[in-house]
Amino acid sequence: MKDNLIQTQLSNGLRISLKEIHTAPIVSVWCWYDIGSRNEVPGKTGVSHWVEHMQFKGTKTMSGQEMDHAIARVGGYWNAMTSSDWTTYLETLPSNHIDLALKIEADRMQNSLFDPEDVEMERTVILSEREGAENDPLFLLGEATEALAFKQHPYRNEVLGFQRDVETMTRDDLYGHYQNYYQPANARLCVAGDFDSQNLLKKIEALFGNIPSNNIVSNIPKPEETLSEANRIELQGPGEAHFAQIVYRSPAANTDDFFAYTILDSLLAGPSSLNMFGSGSISNRTSRLYKSLVETEMVAGVFGGINATIDPGTYAITLIGRPDRDSEEVLKHFDQQIEDLQKGNIQAQEIERAVKQAKALFVYGSDNITNQAFWLGYAPSFADYDWFRHYVDNLQAVTPEQVAQIVQKYFSPNNRVIGFYNPVKGF
Amino acid sequence: MANLTKNLPNANNILRKQLKNGATMLAWHNPTSPAIVFQGLLTPGTMADRHGKFGLANLTAAMLMTGTQKHDFQALHEKIESLGASINVQAGKLATSFSLQCLSEDLPSILDLLVEVLSQPSFPENHFNRIKTQILTSIAIRAQDTGAMAGDAFDRAFFDSHPYAIPTIGYAQDIVGIELEDLKAFHADFFAPHTALLTVSGGLAPDRVADMLENSFGAWQKTTFKTQPDLPEFIAPQKALREHVAMAEKSQTDLIIGVLAPKTQSEDIYAAMIGNNILGQFGMMGRVGDSVREKAGLAYYVQSALGSGLGPTPWQVFAGVNPDNLDRAISLIKDELKRFANEVVSTQELEDSRAQMIGRQPLALETNVGITRALLSIERYQLGLNHLQELPDKLKAISKQDVLAVAHKYWDLDRLTIVSAGRELT
Repeated sequence: MKDNLIQTQLSNGLRISLKEIHTAPIVSVWCWYDIGSRNEVPGKTGVSHWVEHMQFKGTKTMSGQEMDHAIARVGGYWNAMTSSDWTTYLETLPSNHIDLALKIEADRMQNSLFDPEDVEMERTVILSEREGAENDPLFLLGEATEALAFKQHPYRNEVLGFQRDVETMTRDDLYGHYQNYYQPANARLCVAGDFDSQNLLKKIEALFGNIPSNNIVSNIPKPEETLSEANRIELQGPGEAHFAQIVYRSPAANTDDFFAYTILDSLLAGPSSLNMFGSGSISNRTSRLYKSLVETEMVAGVFGGINATIDPGTYAITLIGRPDRDSEEVLKHFDQQIEDLQKGNIQAQEIERAVKQAKALFVYGSDNITNQAFWLGYAPSFADYDWFRHYVDNLQAVTPEQVAQIVQKYFSPNNRVIGFYNPVKGF
Repeated sequence: MANLTKNLPNANNILRKQLKNGATMLAWHNPTSPAIVFQGLLTPGTMADRHGKFGLANLTAAMLMTGTQKHDFQALHEKIESLGASINVQAGKLATSFSLQCLSEDLPSILDLLVEVLSQPSFPENHFNRIKTQILTSIAIRAQDTGAMAGDAFDRAFFDSHPYAIPTIGYAQDIVGIELEDLKAFHADFFAPHTALLTVSGGLAPDRVADMLENSFGAWQKTTFKTQPDLPEFIAPQKALREHVAMAEKSQTDLIIGVLAPKTQSEDIYAAMIGNNILGQFGMMGRVGDSVREKAGLAYYVQSALGSGLGPTPWQVFAGVNPDNLDRAISLIKDELKRFANEVVSTQELEDSRAQMIGRQPLALETNVGITRALLSIERYQLGLNHLQELPDKLKAISKQDVLAVAHKYWDLDRLTIVSAGRELT
């Protein structure tokens, strides 16, 4: 048993990862489904996210409120997330209540009701969620640039779905999606914390072992390896703050390019943390773009962030503009930094710093069991758990030459999307 | 099974010590952690801002991170970031807060940098305009954030002429006129090491941390300083207030309804904590969540929050709703407030909330950040070093009548402050 980890599979296809950690009397249970907006079809965008909401509305044996109160009563919390690649549900709670979390996950894997009244109620909640996001100019800009970064691939669509799709989808659309994708063969149950693995395996077998798996019809999109042309979009809206996003293609996480790309991200815009529940972050004042654009007062702020995705995705650098600077001039300075990297002006010392930062972020992220359980399921969503185990080693192996090659391969001005959000007074 | 309860921070395992410069430190050993988290406070806060210079404390805090007498901007951040560490400084109402996170082996060098940042800032002129512009940009971004605008409008209406009505970030027109000399004088006058409260949790023994702190932070001596103005008395609004901030092109309206909360050190606080949990925290956000989100489907988020602090703080309900549903959401929340203030909670609700608040202790104290946050509260509000162990008994002693009495006392429905920000009201 490597790092107290057990990985196995039930006969119905349910994949199981258990990691014993006895530092606190806490356990975190995650149930992952290999379904996200990546698998959605036109007219049904947002269905994965809406189904996620419906999973909190109850089953034949337990109402949503009963589940909710049972978790809260023991001092635990539960939540769920939908991404482009996956949907996941989690409960973190005192370890002596682990049975409750397992029971809920087994129950809602097969018995959720999708009551028509609840569906209608949740339609307005989701529209409200989308409206809240739309209040943020950066959400609008991100949605616009992503749509231009892909021709067909569903990564071009917001996980929340288009408003018109949320308004028109039916209860049957949601329930059909649930019945198709919520099956043991499409799921991973991941648990970290204070438990005995052998006892826990017996409980899981008893609760999940008899849930059948049927044929799963999955829409697998064709990856778009490159961003085929240069594109620009300008949005206008109220306010005084200017924003720009420069979007390039990023490699799939399960490729060698991903690690050199991660180092590049750190050098350019500061270290990104893939931890979803980790405490701690590291500032980006020594990054190349901060030094060249923020310190020189070309822009007020800069940040970037790489995502680990199944298919090639996007890497966006966001600039918070200044009203007294011309955006084309800023772009010229930005491109000079890219060209400098393409020429190979990269020091080994910069890579050492990026690796040290990645190590520190991993340590900070390991201080809570929820985040450790998250990694048990997250890494296998696009690769396997060894990807996580060897992450820092793989970063450490990156050379300056590889980083330069990545910039040459992915960062062409002819293969990117540039988006501007320009405030207009009296809008 | 691990047992956290017996290892909760308490008088036997928290090291509390006064440093030679008067600062107070609390340290706790987290033997499984290879990292250290450090959180602290010291005066001044925005209370020391003067009329026409609102934003000075915040600007000063931001400028502290631009260089010290020994390290210029790049040298300072090169040292911090190359170790994968972080240092943050931020102004609050009554104090400036600071934090540090690093791997345990790097604490000595990072701690020295933090002390330099706080005690020996260089206030470099070449970074001043940049930092000012960044803050002005933040103000412009906040101006498009319905949540932030509702929060500011609530504070303006609720606190009226009290200094808490002024946003911590200050006003753009004041920030433009603030000079570098103002910052230097503000730091020289008000930053006082003896007022500091330092809390530490992580993988180093408290004795060792105390030695490090004594040698670094304790060496910061200051004999002349000014005391920031005392907090003026606050009288909560004596009538109902309704404000709306009209913002163009906003799909969602943010809503806040609030009253004055009990003081954190008052005897009402534990009944109020349980009451707040029932009102807008328990499960999917308590009674208001059940009414506004679950039953009416009107909001993506709705919850209540009980403010804490040494000064006056509000007890609020927050919601984000479609502008067309604003009046209905207000009405539903008011119905719940009326019920909360006039009817006794059920035995089930009381027991559920009590159980949740006791049960979540291990989760709240799992990380170094959670521990230092708890240590700060223990010292700041004089809760006693055994507070975390005593909390379950204090919560168990609260009755349904205690919750009703507190709800009735604080939630006067004729004196609600109701604020919204979003599309123009029709």
